[in-house]
Amino acid sequence: MRKSIQAGVIAVAGLAAFGSFQASADEVLTIGVVSALEGPGSEWGRGVDGGTRIAAKEINEAGGLTVNGTTYQIRVRSYDDGYAAARAVAAVTRLIEQDRVNFVLGPLGSGAALAVKPMYEEHGILALVNSYTPETLADNPQYTYRVLPTTAEYVGPIVGWINENHPDIQRVAIISPNDQTGWDSQKSQVATYEEFGYDIVGTELFERATRNFQPFVTRIMAQQPDLIELDTTPPGTAGLIIRQAREMGYQGMFSKIGGPGVPEIVDAAGKEFAEGTVVYVAADTENPKYAEMEEAYAEIYPPPMNAFNVFFYDAAHMLFEAMQRAGTVEDVEAVRAELLAMAPYEGMQGTLVWGGEELYGNNNQLQTPTFVGLIQDGKEVIVDRIAVE
Amino acid sequence: MLQLTIQIAVNGLTFGLIYILMALGFTLIFGIMRVVNFAHGEFYMVGAIGILLLFGTLGFNYYLSIVFAVLCVGLLGVIVERVLLRGFVGRELNSMIMALAVAITLQALAAILFGPQEQSVARPVTGVLQVAGVFIPRDRIVVGVIALAVLIAFYLFLRYARYGLAMRAVAQDPAAAALQGIRPGFIYSLAFGVGSLLAGLAGALMAPVYTISPFMGDVPMMMAFIVVILGGLGSIPGAVVGGLLLGFVESLFSTFFGSTIATMIAFGMVVLILLFKPSGLMGRAQ
Repeated sequence: MRKSIQAGVIAVAGLAAFGSFQASADEVLTIGVVSALEGPGSEWGRGVDGGTRIAAKEINEAGGLTVNGTTYQIRVRSYDDGYAAARAVAAVTRLIEQDRVNFVLGPLGSGAALAVKPMYEEHGILALVNSYTPETLADNPQYTYRVLPTTAEYVGPIVGWINENHPDIQRVAIISPNDQTGWDSQKSQVATYEEFGYDIVGTELFERATRNFQPFVTRIMAQQPDLIELDTTPPGTAGLIIRQAREMGYQGMFSKIGGPGVPEIVDAAGKEFAEGTVVYVAADTENPKYAEMEEAYAEIYPPPMNAFNVFFYDAAHMLFEAMQRAGTVEDVEAVRAELLAMAPYEGMQGTLVWGGEELYGNNNQLQTPTFVGLIQDGKEVIVDRIAVE
Repeated sequence: MLQLTIQIAVNGLTFGLIYILMALGFTLIFGIMRVVNFAHGEFYMVGAIGILLLFGTLGFNYYLSIVFAVLCVGLLGVIVERVLLRGFVGRELNSMIMALAVAITLQALAAILFGPQEQSVARPVTGVLQVAGVFIPRDRIVVGVIALAVLIAFYLFLRYARYGLAMRAVAQDPAAAALQGIRPGFIYSLAFGVGSLLAGLAGALMAPVYTISPFMGDVPMMMAFIVVILGGLGSIPGAVVGGLLLGFVESLFSTFFGSTIATMIAFGMVVLILLFKPSGLMGRAQ
């Protein structure tokens, strides 16, 4: 009995030693994710975590990330910020102080991004974020980079497409929510439409809780616009405006160059009324890789997968490749330099480049191809793919 | 210009009828129980969610769905009154806080169960009636006709029905009503149930016209509040006058100056009423 216990102890010790040897064969590289993972905003926020995890899983399954002769298994440490600035600050503090990460993806959302930006800059954490406010890239940040386009990036190409394909349109009215997002995006829309020579016959701001747009539409229609631009209006509300305007006899075109959401637009407007609306398409869903990603995402979170996953998937792959090129997972400066030097980069969506100098005074904005969509028979159909210049 | 004027008037009338439906329940509850029901907007939302479930998801007939949904909202109102508010009848501050707690809880429950996003149901009535260049969506005509029919039925109920008369008696003097054999407790439950039912009906009617979300009751609640201040808190005729007034003012100013200005004007009217006629246009001085 005593001998068998001894043998058991030796066997367990041997297995443990073997296990630790196996573990040490691959180093572990931890990268951080901060985003809304539960509750409001999580339908977008999970895109940060999902895209990063899918990219990490692909590399791990292919044998790991080899950097300067050492192979790393990538571990993604994710924290939920609940789409709130205070929780994002707490999450980034944990990533820096406890997890000792050098690289973070997220957060998503202007409030959270602005709250943690000084922490990234002070601690030299290379961060790939998403937010709609230009303030994220203000004051020439050294470590904060934005990997999703904002209206400032994709309005120009889509208005250019309208200009080329619908030369009959002259008069444009623009409707936006009456808050910081709406003010910023409407300013950008007005400037872009004017740049293309359009006559802006009305700019309207509405309270987000508004559901009755009949008086509003009556007023806009008095200006006889050929096109009503719905800007960053939430998709369900955009559908309501389309429906109410059509019911009031509006015959012109609609465009919504400000965030995705075609199914919600069609549900609220009705298929017939939504027909022909020009929309911004965040990701090319006809890309075969998109279907693969959807399958991989379903193993992490319940479907449907948001298009934001694609941007963070590409961004994570860029980051990992930058580490390989720099030959280090510790030296943030070297990785940052390679990250910037490696563009143009062939990502899932097409060619990606760093840009934004004219708008932000630096090139910390990842520029991605723009997909122009039309609502046809209640579905989103990509009618043009515009590469970055 | 004439065409635009008629369009503004038609828009104002359709808004006004819905505001009256909302405000009637709100003012009825206050008039009888002295409870400022801040959960009134959430009963509107629950009515709309009922349509989402019964008509949108389960595919029942729209009009049957309305009947079933509003009865459920009425029953929910009775339960809320009996369990949570009965102890606070006449204590305005306490009941207000309790109603606020009910509102937040119902909103959070709806967000958990149905998600925070806006949802839509198919429209049971489609198309537009065009008369002399004025466009009236048919679904709004249906809403207007049902709202009007319910208002008339509600008036007849209060004027001639036994329980309607009992409600008015309790509203005037609960002690004297009790001496006549009226049970105030039963009337409280009935009033809260009917008030909630009216809010639920407004929500159920507007569900296919607008979108449905847990937060959709906020604006109708605010409008009901404005209407009863204008008309007089606790006054049924005041709710009708206030509702129509607000509907026309909103339609007029939204058309010419935008919704933000229209809301400012509405609150401006509230300020003036509070300063110069605090009991409202048709209310009784306390």
